[in-house]
Amino acid sequence: MGGIKFIIDMGLSSLVYAAIFIFAAGIFYKVYFEYYKTPQPLKIPQTPQPTDSFGVFLRMAGDVLFFRSLAKGTKLLFVAGWLFHFTFLLLLIRHLRYFIYPVPGIVTMFNKVSLLIGIVMLLSMIVLVVRRFLEERVRYVTLLADYFVLFLIMAIVVTGIMLRHEPFRPDVTAVKAFIMELMSPTTPLKLLTMEPAHAPTCFMFVTHLGLVCLLLIYFPFSKLVHSVGYFFSPTRNMVNNPRSVRYINPWDKG
Amino acid sequence: MAEEKAPDTKHHSGADREPNEIIQEYIKFEKIKYYPVELTGDIEVPKLTPDALVMVKPQLLTSKEVLARLGYPENGLRPDWKEVFLAKMDEILKKYRSVKLFLDICVRCGACTDKCHYYLGTGDPLNMPVARQELMRRVYRRYFTVQGRLFGSKFVNGEELSEELLAMWYTYFYQCSECRRCSVFCPYGIDTAEITMAAREILNSVGLVQKYLHEIIDKAQVIGNNLGMQQNAIVNALEFVQDELIETTGVEDIRIPIDEEGADVLFVTPSADFFASPHIESLYGYAKVFHQAGISWTMSTHASEGGNFGLFIHNYEHMKKINKRIWDAARELKVKRVIGGECGHMWRVLSSYSNTMFGPFDYLDPKYPRPQHICEFTLDLIKRGALKIDKSANEEFTVTMHDSCQVARGLEMGGTEFGQFEIPRGVIKGVCDKFVDMPEHTIRERTFCCGAGQGLLGDDMLATRVKGAMPRMQAYHYVKKNNGVNFLALICAICKAQMSKMLPTYGFPMEEVGGIHQLVGRAIVLGAKEGI
Repeated sequence: MGGIKFIIDMGLSSLVYAAIFIFAAGIFYKVYFEYYKTPQPLKIPQTPQPTDSFGVFLRMAGDVLFFRSLAKGTKLLFVAGWLFHFTFLLLLIRHLRYFIYPVPGIVTMFNKVSLLIGIVMLLSMIVLVVRRFLEERVRYVTLLADYFVLFLIMAIVVTGIMLRHEPFRPDVTAVKAFIMELMSPTTPLKLLTMEPAHAPTCFMFVTHLGLVCLLLIYFPFSKLVHSVGYFFSPTRNMVNNPRSVRYINPWDKG
Repeated sequence: MAEEKAPDTKHHSGADREPNEIIQEYIKFEKIKYYPVELTGDIEVPKLTPDALVMVKPQLLTSKEVLARLGYPENGLRPDWKEVFLAKMDEILKKYRSVKLFLDICVRCGACTDKCHYYLGTGDPLNMPVARQELMRRVYRRYFTVQGRLFGSKFVNGEELSEELLAMWYTYFYQCSECRRCSVFCPYGIDTAEITMAAREILNSVGLVQKYLHEIIDKAQVIGNNLGMQQNAIVNALEFVQDELIETTGVEDIRIPIDEEGADVLFVTPSADFFASPHIESLYGYAKVFHQAGISWTMSTHASEGGNFGLFIHNYEHMKKINKRIWDAARELKVKRVIGGECGHMWRVLSSYSNTMFGPFDYLDPKYPRPQHICEFTLDLIKRGALKIDKSANEEFTVTMHDSCQVARGLEMGGTEFGQFEIPRGVIKGVCDKFVDMPEHTIRERTFCCGAGQGLLGDDMLATRVKGAMPRMQAYHYVKKNNGVNFLALICAICKAQMSKMLPTYGFPMEEVGGIHQLVGRAIVLGAKEGI
């Protein structure tokens, strides 16, 4: 048994570090080299667009927080999409309880409703999947990759919900200890000397975490970069004042 | 190219044919019959009808002289087109963040799928904005992403370059009028126009150059205007307009000044305004406004074109060269202000891009927007009571307004977020008593393109134009039926040309189309100046 546990500990720790590295490096590369460094030659805001930068900030906040552009179109997509993203965010916040000690009050607030949040998230994703399949036009443009990422996240949510219940329930203190240990700066070094952090002995937990790592690795190479890409979208982030403020084409800056 | 001889190829002449020969077969131009639909007043989203409009192939530009001047291959598709194609695409991806980002971040949510007027008119799935973009994204994923390069096109839903794919590009990127309506509904503001512009320039670089659009780009650079009118022809045309004005108004000193140094205002407008109908009616209107305001103005034979078709492809140099004429003329004539006439894309280039390309305009009077739109100018005069208006001259009209795509979704007017909607309407209401808007989802930021914008106005595109005009025609029919509207006011030369053809096609009288300044011109009472 010790051998298997060692292999799982080693494997899981390495996977977590590799996933976080690929995710962080990938996103950094995308954002810095591909979006930030690529010039935008001309002003192409999409009007009506505010004529000052604070207004643009508000417009973008409206898009990010309330999906305002999406809300102009199909309501079903808007509602399902927004619920999915919002509940996703809530669950991410809830997971902070594994990363912070002591756990902040705002996180413990979710204790009672976290199952409900998970179920809402799952339902909204089912709507998104079914919609892709049933709506003729969307089915035409849907790729396998679009289903893949939906099902991947759904699998994460399902394993997450199962983790709350017997017989899948892990020892929560062991989980927290494992994560805190992974976060300690000396742990990666100990990997080299074959002393990995101790993962909780719980198959469902290993699956859940493994799927999350898969998502992180997949993230920078996929459409999921829309999350960071939006902020660089020139039709949304440019101020609508081309006449009063001269925009310099980065090409001309030499 | 194509060294391997595959005996089982579907083209029985063998695979050793030149790429140009293959592509010419795919994109052979044919005259196509078009049928307008029966109007009901409602815009219904059609069922998917694959290949509904695949047979519309724009005509190719074949004049070697013109191609050489534009810097594009002269003998059709280059034998080494694949390398050139990828090199050009790589260049654009590095030079335009818009293109790079928009190829990356689409999640195919489908919000745009029922927003394009060409999709609504045809049901052709490749006219759904996201599907149109996917034509390029398939190539992008295969050749420009790590996973595509490592694992090949199957894994990433990519596509190898082929003449067939090229033919699809040539077909469907000339069924996008770059009107940006899809972008309004996109959660990330993905602008298909940017993708289309890039695709067209890539097609140009390998030797597939569309005739109508690029002939005009050439004419605007070489001769100075889209219609290819020489200087003396312009002078003649404008003198004729002036004679007409004097005759019809009875005012002796009303003028269309040409190349007058030291005038306050340089006025630029699409060259179609010089004689096309109904465009010319707006020219009368402009002249009357300037005359009555008592502001000295001039047109220029050097900058005899406001329109700038260089915008429609991602080729900065063409656009810049065409735009330069205006600012050269402004300096030469020592004007204090530049005002632009009624034109959609012209306005976007003139006011959004000029400042970047040829600014700063510190030689112009900073008291006024640099440059200014004729509607801003006229509305200001109306508000200040500087024009004597007799609305009863337009009594016979119940007016509605078609927001031009490039104006409505292009940039501010009057320095405010919604000015581009309010100011033109303000002018109309200032000279007409009866104004009714078309249904909300067809105007303002959600306006439909006229169906012929951004290089699709050629006669070879008539089938596309008729289908694409459907949503606007439905909306017009709606207000005509319910509110008795009988005048469609426009602020764009392309809209005017398209609508004066589409209205009769859909069974409306052609005279119901006109510019806003046509209405202004009718209502202005010339004579005793009240001063400003």
